[in-house]
Amino acid sequence: MRRVKGIGSLLLWGSPLIMVSILIASILFGAKNLPMSTVWDALFHFDPENVDHQIVIHSRLPRAIGALLIGAFLAVSGALMQGMTRNYLASPSIMGVSDGSAFAITICMVFMPESNSAMEMILFSMIGSLIGVAVVFSLATLVPGGMSPVNMAVIGLITGTFLSGVSAGLASYFQISQDVSFWYNARMHLMTPELVKVAIPFGIVGLILAVAISKSVTVLSLGEDISKGLGQRTVLVKVIATLAVVILTGISVALAGKIAFVGLVIPHITRFLVGIDYRRIVPAAGVLGAIFLGLSDVLSRFLNYPFETPIGVVTSLVGVPFFLYLIRKRGGGKHV
Amino acid sequence: MYNHSGTTRFGFVLLIGCLLTLAAVYVSLTNGAFDMTLAEVVKTLLRINPDPSHDLVIFEFRLPRIVIAMLVGFGLGVVGAVVQGLMRNGLADPGILGINAGAGAAIVVFMFFFQGSIQGTGWFAIMAKPLFGLAGGLSAAALIYLFAWNRGKLDPQRLILVGIAIGSGFGAVSLFLSLKMKPNDFEMATVWLTGSIWDANWTYIVAMLPWLIILLPIMMWKAHLLDLFQLEENSVKSLGVATEKEKSILLLCCIGVVSACVSVSGNISFVGLIAPHITKRLVGIRHRYVLPISGVMGMLLVVASDFISKTVFQPVELPVGIVISIIGVPYFIYLLRRGRK
Repeated sequence: MRRVKGIGSLLLWGSPLIMVSILIASILFGAKNLPMSTVWDALFHFDPENVDHQIVIHSRLPRAIGALLIGAFLAVSGALMQGMTRNYLASPSIMGVSDGSAFAITICMVFMPESNSAMEMILFSMIGSLIGVAVVFSLATLVPGGMSPVNMAVIGLITGTFLSGVSAGLASYFQISQDVSFWYNARMHLMTPELVKVAIPFGIVGLILAVAISKSVTVLSLGEDISKGLGQRTVLVKVIATLAVVILTGISVALAGKIAFVGLVIPHITRFLVGIDYRRIVPAAGVLGAIFLGLSDVLSRFLNYPFETPIGVVTSLVGVPFFLYLIRKRGGGKHV
Repeated sequence: MYNHSGTTRFGFVLLIGCLLTLAAVYVSLTNGAFDMTLAEVVKTLLRINPDPSHDLVIFEFRLPRIVIAMLVGFGLGVVGAVVQGLMRNGLADPGILGINAGAGAAIVVFMFFFQGSIQGTGWFAIMAKPLFGLAGGLSAAALIYLFAWNRGKLDPQRLILVGIAIGSGFGAVSLFLSLKMKPNDFEMATVWLTGSIWDANWTYIVAMLPWLIILLPIMMWKAHLLDLFQLEENSVKSLGVATEKEKSILLLCCIGVVSACVSVSGNISFVGLIAPHITKRLVGIRHRYVLPISGVMGMLLVVASDFISKTVFQPVELPVGIVISIIGVPYFIYLLRRGRK
């Protein structure tokens, strides 16, 4: 046990180093492996004529940064949702939030095919995740016992199936199924510097909200009654936390589509490593999420070399067994 | 025990349900790209002065599709009621068991590797796809069973969660393969995955019928047990019910029926979720009544939605699963709201 915690703190303290090495690996390896010197030149003596330099600046670098950011965003969203709902299964993908985003983006692609600037995508995607969250939470309050882990997972699944069903219907009606499917399943390689640049300010807002609210989420995670008894305005806390989730998940989907399991797995690992205080969980989950998704992204290029594997498939490779393990350990009833 | 008014109400609801279904069948038989009058349909069915073009439309296109819609709807409706009873969870749905996802993944595997290599219209060529689906559904079910089984017991909550987990695993497999497909195959695969009955034919009907004929009566026969399962686990045991055994039998029946349905019609979601809720509002919670009515409601839902899916959006056909979810989910939310008041 102590050794595990040791590894944990090593991972956290060493995280800047790990992230930089992931960044470098992610830039160096791919369909075309680039030597270190080319990357160096591309970064500091950029030559627009050189194809390799173009690859580094316009494809590899944004992709690597994007993977780290998305991992952090999703993991933080998951951590907030788990703390807020006291539900160990809460996460953007299981709760139908990502499906909401994808739904809004599909609508945008179908009805406004010409408007696909990064900004609009991100806004639509956020509106979509808001819809997803709203539907899931309002259903959960309607159903007796709706907030229990199992029922919330089921409600999330129903909402997700519904939203993605409607998206699929629209897409197949307008005969752009595969485009849409590519859009939200395999987008890592389409990351552009503009997209990342637009996403970063939103991400910072979301992360600041998340960190600011984390202390209150810790109290909330002890239970609604305790939180109220301690004089906390639970509704306000929930609204702010949900806002952070909507922003962070919205950007992630707009950047890279639906990526399952990061928001589920990482917060659990984090809680195991740093304890139950969300002031520590939120930042640590962000760091670990970034590392996890960065690694998955590098891995996704090698699983089926030279083709890329959708990153959602890579995260599922880790996520499904972990999910099964959680169920085995926790069963259906208990709270976080 | 046998409440007289309950029985009358049951009969009444059953009658109305069947009449409505018949009406839906009539509308789907006569309307479409090629409109026919009632007289023509009846004449064709009774073989009076058969006209080859009418024969073709009725026997090759419309009738198999309607029959499959009815069978699938009935099967899913009954299974939905059984699953909700077993799990003691009104939100459970056959799709949640992850079987659909397993069958779906198997079909995608089939389309990816063998689509081009099996040719002709022989029995095997037609049946290869549903058989793959069946195998996929059963293996998903086996996996789910394996993980949910804990110390000789089958915990309903754990079963639901394992179903979700396995479902997303198979979803990832489908995703991986489907993105490597040719656009046309992909279009077919999505249509199939979202639930559709457009390639109906008599062979499929023959293939799925035995499952329904054998398994549905078993479920009906065991229906009274589902009432008991609503009690505490220990009370059920003290009534002398071998809970684990009965649960397993019922669950295996569900798995069989769902796999059979999914293998011919893809993932038609929400029928199994909504039909039992409508039914319980109509005839109460006694499963002896709920199962048949839920089946009829499922039948009505699928036949009507299939008609909508093939006519309203002409010339494009929407997958029937999507039509059902667009109609069904808002209604389901309305039901939940009313139930709460």
